Amino acid sequence: MNINIRKIQGFVSQNAIYIVLAVLVIGIAIYNPNFIGINTFRDILVQSSTRVIIALGVAFILITGGTDLSAGRMVGLTAVISASMLQVEDYPRRFFPDLQHLPLLVPILIAIVVGLIFGMINGIIVSKLKVPPFIATLGTMVAIYGINSLYFDTDPNQSQPIGGLRDDFTRIGSGSIGSGDFKIPFIVLIAIAVSIIVWVLFNKTRLGKNMYAIGGNEQAARVSGINVTKYLIIIYSIAGALYGLAGVLEAARTGGATNNYGNMYELDAIAACVVGGVSTTGGIGTVPGVMAGVLIFTVINYGLTFIGVGPYWQLIIKGAIIVAAVAFDMRKYASKK
Amino acid sequence: MKKIGTALLAAALLGATLTGCSGSGDKSSGGNGETNIGVAIYKFDDTFMTGVRNAIEKNASGIAKVDIVDSQNSQPTQNDKIDLFLTKKTNAMIVNPVGRTAAGVIIDKAKAKDTPVVFLNREPLPEDMKKWDKVYYVGARAEESGTLSGQIIVDYWNANPSADKNGDGVLQYVMLKGEPGHQDAELRTQYSIQAVEDAGIKVEKVAEDTAMWDRVKGQEKMAAFLAANGDKIEAVFANNDDMALGAIEALKAAGYFTGDKFMPVVGVDATAPALQALEQGTMLGTVLNDAENQGKAAVVLASLLAKGSEMNKDSVGFEITDNQYVWIPYQKVTKENAADFK
Repeated sequence: MNINIRKIQGFVSQNAIYIVLAVLVIGIAIYNPNFIGINTFRDILVQSSTRVIIALGVAFILITGGTDLSAGRMVGLTAVISASMLQVEDYPRRFFPDLQHLPLLVPILIAIVVGLIFGMINGIIVSKLKVPPFIATLGTMVAIYGINSLYFDTDPNQSQPIGGLRDDFTRIGSGSIGSGDFKIPFIVLIAIAVSIIVWVLFNKTRLGKNMYAIGGNEQAARVSGINVTKYLIIIYSIAGALYGLAGVLEAARTGGATNNYGNMYELDAIAACVVGGVSTTGGIGTVPGVMAGVLIFTVINYGLTFIGVGPYWQLIIKGAIIVAAVAFDMRKYASKK
Repeated sequence: MKKIGTALLAAALLGATLTGCSGSGDKSSGGNGETNIGVAIYKFDDTFMTGVRNAIEKNASGIAKVDIVDSQNSQPTQNDKIDLFLTKKTNAMIVNPVGRTAAGVIIDKAKAKDTPVVFLNREPLPEDMKKWDKVYYVGARAEESGTLSGQIIVDYWNANPSADKNGDGVLQYVMLKGEPGHQDAELRTQYSIQAVEDAGIKVEKVAEDTAMWDRVKGQEKMAAFLAANGDKIEAVFANNDDMALGAIEALKAAGYFTGDKFMPVVGVDATAPALQALEQGTMLGTVLNDAENQGKAAVVLASLLAKGSEMNKDSVGFEITDNQYVWIPYQKVTKENAADFK
């Protein structure tokens, strides 16, 4: 009998986030059974797609024992950059009035490379200048927003929202393959592909092994011959590239961009990571956990709106879940010891 | 060697920061005899206020030198900037308050230094306005924007019998609100619906939520509304264009605006992307909060106040109500007149 209870306790604490997710979905569905359906399911996946890409970028950094506050602003910068180069030719207020029709991939790659470069700058500041990641990325967060606003304010745009995006671009964000009810949005496929790639990086590569080692104990990692500086720069760069991709997708999904895009996304991403079991002290975290963490928040955002819960209550519930999930997680490790 | 590299990098960063600072410093140092106007905007990344900001800059040329600062959506920051203006002895200020109740303190400070203030876009409380006669307010009557967007829906409803999708004679609508507690959000919400009711149309609220003025959130909330209520929704009211455009993206994803599946969506602001949506027929209408004239009126008022000139309709170019108020009217924008506003 005793053993059974302990087994159940063990199961619950090992799978806490998945249980929270299931309880949320079931609770909302009991309140309004229409919640269970292929369209709501698809909406939730679509709304989770960019978030999961950002959260995976942040997870890379959290696992090394760092943190990244600049993620949201990088999303905003890359959203604006990609959108500024992908407007239709006959739009009256073009960002670049005389820009030729660029191949779709060019602005997208530019945006991703910009993300990668700023990620690399973060990595260099953290690993070479030895600035604590919280401070380093706080600085770049502020500076990147400045750079974005400067770019956004250039003549003739003058800080007006960028609209009139090309159909081939917005299709990435809103199109899907398949027919009838069984349509899979492109953006979800992209998020899944990114998740798989990140899973492989985490679990099957030297980079992943070294990442966990650095996060577990940086000194030990250094002593055992890992080039910590090099790997940190690579990891921050990868994260930056992921934010770049997410920024592109945000612009494509909403058909526009402003310099305020991505504001506070880093906190959503960090919250999703910790709820998904990523340790803020480093060394621990899985891709499925992060995905579940992101899904929990999307289900809250979407589901509570779906059943008409007021916005203030949504915030209270969100906050409670962040604290509760981490408190639960702490018990898991405490009980292991 | 490594250390030198690090030091160089640090020096370069520091240098960049310093030059960045000095760049903004030059602008504000006042010239002799020139009218200096300090302008504090509540937040630079607000689309509408950016339009006003540009109008201030444009209309200031030749009459005054303006120094425009960002209050970063924080009242304490704004008060710091205002202290700075007063210390620098600017001749007048234009303040777009972060919170309307903060105006009282700002007026006290300005009065103490005899620096006239023109408040912009967020109306101070009447008792604060009465504190001093060198305080003016330039803005639009927020309720008017709600009323006009409601009227756009009324016109559509009366012209299209098919707008009543379920044929029950009642308008089922959803509302995308701006930031909760924001004066514009509350008034637009209230007056848009009131305009519909005043026209003799019964309404039923299917759903209402805040999308924080934000396009991404507008899209996400609308997707949830559609999933929960589907074809029950007959009209979408949004407190601004960004949220309306977000809602339109969600509607497109649900198959609207193809064939005869239509949804009337109204916003406020008449931004460039909204005008495009009007022309494409996805957005039904929007309301122009006249950024150009708000900026112009504010800067003209401030420069006249700074010079101590007489204030009347001829000198200002705008009607002055109750000695302290300049009201800039809103305008309805639909597909028919969208081209005029580009």
